[in-house]
Amino acid sequence: MAHTITWLGNTWLSSQMRDLKWLWPTCETLHFIGLSLLIGGAGLFDLRLMGFMRRVPVSAVRDFMPYAIVGFVLNLVTGVAFFVMMPAQYAYSLTWYAKLLFIVIAGLNAMLFETTLGTRVLTLGPDEDTPTSFKVVGAVSLFSWFAVLYCGRMLPYLGTGN
Amino acid sequence: MEFFSWLQHTALASWVVQSESVWAYPSILTAHTIGLALLVGAASVIDLRLLGVAPRVPVAQLEYLYRFVWAGFWINLASGLLLFASEATEKAGQPIFIIKLILVIVALVVTIRMRREAFGRGTTAPSVRARRLAAMSLTLWAAAITAGRLMAYFK
Repeated sequence: MAHTITWLGNTWLSSQMRDLKWLWPTCETLHFIGLSLLIGGAGLFDLRLMGFMRRVPVSAVRDFMPYAIVGFVLNLVTGVAFFVMMPAQYAYSLTWYAKLLFIVIAGLNAMLFETTLGTRVLTLGPDEDTPTSFKVVGAVSLFSWFAVLYCGRMLPYLGTGN
Repeated sequence: MEFFSWLQHTALASWVVQSESVWAYPSILTAHTIGLALLVGAASVIDLRLLGVAPRVPVAQLEYLYRFVWAGFWINLASGLLLFASEATEKAGQPIFIIKLILVIVALVVTIRMRREAFGRGTTAPSVRARRLAAMSLTLWAAAITAGRLMAYFK
């Protein structure tokens, strides 16, 4: 792996991107705006799944999800840019792998919901409590996204092997 | 300036920067980011709804989200004061920091006025004024985030 990481850091693309001094701060700023959209949109949906704000129909809160997805894609693109520019900073960080793990957990959790439980959303009216399975999915999602944020922000300080 | 120098040399401020513990600077910085996510996350959902996104969500129900706006605000005021104290003499004279402070204050005022305008008067559709405040809130919080991030680059 060390070989690939060194190779990536030495590619033309990686060094060109590093030479654009404004690119890193711009990606960081977009990463913060993206996380706000993601946590805002997904967090609201998670809260509703957990049984809060019962007077809002579950199917209606779902209309915010495209904005959460915009936030996620923004952070995926800028995140890949960070990795291409400074691969060694991430590839040797335990905290970065923990962050990836929580992204995978959040993703699988969302997929489980969409493929198996999600159809029950349409049958839930306003004022109705959610089944336990929805509450678990919502809590796992909310916890995972905040764990992703925690790992991302602590990345320079935790699990660096120093 | 003497005050900022005194502040920076208090035991607490010195601990924030000098401690090797992850509970010092790194955790305070992370708390500041969690507060940001709560505040701007909740505010942006309210803003988007007032601007016409997710029209089936009853506007009145979203007033609930203001508790997260305030939770995020108080977390960031506390963590922000600690971060400021630890570098008070530099930050106090840093233009981008002053710009960030102004943006946060204006964004907060707009977000509070938006609450009165959009939730104070029954279940009617958002007024033009409420929508204008929502657009301002969304823009100002994004600008505050940008200024905050750039503090690390424009010394």
